[in-house]
Amino acid sequence: MALAEICKISNASYMRPTAWATDDVNELKSYASNFENPYTLAAPPFANPVENLNKIQANADKTGIKIEFDHGTTTLGFKFKGGVILAVDSRATGGQYIGSQSMKKIVEINDFLLGTLAGGAADCVYWDRVLSKECRLHELRNKERISVAAASKIMANIAHEYKGMGLSMGMMLAGYDKRGPGLYYVDSEGSRTAGNLFSVGSGSIFAYGVLDSGYDYNLEDEAAQELGRRAIYHATHRDAYSGGIIRVYHMTKNGFKVISNEDCEMLHYKYQAEKAAQ
Amino acid sequence: MARRYDSRTTIFSPEGRLYQVEYAMEAISHAGTCLGILAEDGILLAAECRNTNKLLDGAVPSEKIYRLNDNMVCSVAGITSDANVLTSELRLIAQRYQYSYGEVMPCEQLVSHLCDIKQAYTQYGGKRPFGVSLLYMGWDNKYGYQLYQSDPSGNYGGWKATCIGNNFGAAISMLKQELGDKENIKLAEAKDLAIKVLSKTLDTTKLTTEKVEMATLQRIDNNTVYRVLDRTDVEELINKYNKLEAEAEAAKKEKQAQSQSKS
Amino acid sequence: METLLGIKGRDFVMLAADTTHARSIVVMKHDQNKIHQVSDNLMISTMGESGDTEQFTEFISKNIALYKMRNGYDLSPRSAAHFTRKNLAEYLRSRTPYQVFMFVAGYDAQEGPELVFIDYLANAKALNHGGHGYGSMFTASIFDRYWHPNITQDEAYEVLKKCVQEIQKRLIVNLNNFNVMVVDPNGVKKLDTIMASSLAA
Repeated sequence: MALAEICKISNASYMRPTAWATDDVNELKSYASNFENPYTLAAPPFANPVENLNKIQANADKTGIKIEFDHGTTTLGFKFKGGVILAVDSRATGGQYIGSQSMKKIVEINDFLLGTLAGGAADCVYWDRVLSKECRLHELRNKERISVAAASKIMANIAHEYKGMGLSMGMMLAGYDKRGPGLYYVDSEGSRTAGNLFSVGSGSIFAYGVLDSGYDYNLEDEAAQELGRRAIYHATHRDAYSGGIIRVYHMTKNGFKVISNEDCEMLHYKYQAEKAAQ
Repeated sequence: MARRYDSRTTIFSPEGRLYQVEYAMEAISHAGTCLGILAEDGILLAAECRNTNKLLDGAVPSEKIYRLNDNMVCSVAGITSDANVLTSELRLIAQRYQYSYGEVMPCEQLVSHLCDIKQAYTQYGGKRPFGVSLLYMGWDNKYGYQLYQSDPSGNYGGWKATCIGNNFGAAISMLKQELGDKENIKLAEAKDLAIKVLSKTLDTTKLTTEKVEMATLQRIDNNTVYRVLDRTDVEELINKYNKLEAEAEAAKKEKQAQSQSKS
Repeated sequence: METLLGIKGRDFVMLAADTTHARSIVVMKHDQNKIHQVSDNLMISTMGESGDTEQFTEFISKNIALYKMRNGYDLSPRSAAHFTRKNLAEYLRSRTPYQVFMFVAGYDAQEGPELVFIDYLANAKALNHGGHGYGSMFTASIFDRYWHPNITQDEAYEVLKKCVQEIQKRLIVNLNNFNVMVVDPNGVKKLDTIMASSLAA
């Protein structure tokens, strides 16, 4: 090939080893650099993503170019005397289209830390995976599980770093550590706040209604689990973007327990029957 | 491979010493003397001027004493060109601080910041330490009047009175003797003392006004007042000293004569 | 729709802040503290873009703590405000500006009390009284009417109560609780939260 090099034939398009020019390969590599380092996730491929992403989304009607994120969800979490309850639906939608009825919207980061996802499913899953890695590394380095406060802070720092670049996340982190039960809300705006009761997603307004009227810190375990389940069920009933399986998790000092995975439709008939019986 | 040698200016000698730094200090101990005295109502710096050529333009008011910011003044002993670099750096540091925090930089922070730079030049490859020691006088609302001294190694310390440059050892022991038992002195006394120490430790037999530069810093009505003493003021101090000295000499002679006549 | 208030007397500064944390139309939290103690004699209240408020306040307070660690003495409230404003101004012209509104309040033995208003454009002004957010529109006249140079802490607390009452009466948004903190020669102290229920009593 030496002669080909001298004659610059190797630069000709038909001599290229792949369909991509070398420059394109490098470009491709730069967009996939997060395979090696997850924190180098590429920003949207245009200048000033903070401003221009919003413009693209705003002009969607004219241009016909709109990114439809997996958006609709109902998730909730609350603390009570028996620990923390998390309950979620399982529907994944892209615009009007239901992509899945069996998403796992609770991510098991480790036995003592759970995360819920709402907003961009891909964003949440991606960063939850990074968070899992960080939490495991923390455990290996410090011979101690990470606190919920610290884990949520990692997430909030990531979110703040990418603020305005199009990430869409609204997650709760629930866990049990030295300080007892922990519940944090973290979102892609970069905000992070501890609390006793949160609900996130398009169905949250419906879930809040049931949750707020039935919530009491001194609920018994079973009643608390049922409250979470009920709240999600009512959200799936009213919110078109929520549905599928209702998953209920319970975090205690001994780690998390999966309480139930029930189809909301089945629950609907069950609750209907209960109502009729009254 | 020449770089193997010249890029490592300051490395430890087998005895654990940094020769380059010691040489720099040696260079300073041949430079013009500077001394500083802390008084209860102010603070002063005095320096010996070596360049007393009559052809020099006298328009430059002060050559060894530099104003750093509203509250600080320093004097230098050593290589003047190095000193110019350091004083402009000091001024820059002080202004940067003021830009960040909206208040005048506290004295010790300025000294310590410059010493970090001086230290870096004793450690990084390809660098020569600055051949300069400095005396800083200043006032801040944290610790009042302060006198600091820093050397080429990047060391610094706070003093009641100290001296750098030629014959500094003799001057310091004299200052120690004069001030040893005194808790506080007034600025006026400090001025007399500065002239006394300078005239006794300088190599020249007679102290003249063009050989001495003196500056004071005082806090008056919540303002820091910095003053470089005029020729006439210095002359007055020198004359006062000479007079006292002559009287002392006369008294001594008389005493000697008395004791001789007795025997 | 958040609201911050601040009032200064001869030897104290008092801050009040609502406690809601809202996201779109939902109130996520009713007990969000927005007044942060930064050092023994300094506090900062912050509101604005969520996320930015936490990150920027933390950035400033950690830097002020670092200053104390390095130098052995605290930054004066006036310097702390200057430092805060400068950082905000520098970020304003960067790709990642912080959209925050804050009050820097502190007491210094030499310089006395200091209340500095800082907005998201990094305007900074030392004031005797002031406010941020929609609620402050209703309170400006109350401060003008009731503030005087010799105002005591009790009087100031009563003025803040008047302000909260007016906000709850006239502002379209429901801001139930206001945390109140005061800084004086004895340091920073949290006072009773002004609540809709306590006002009614």
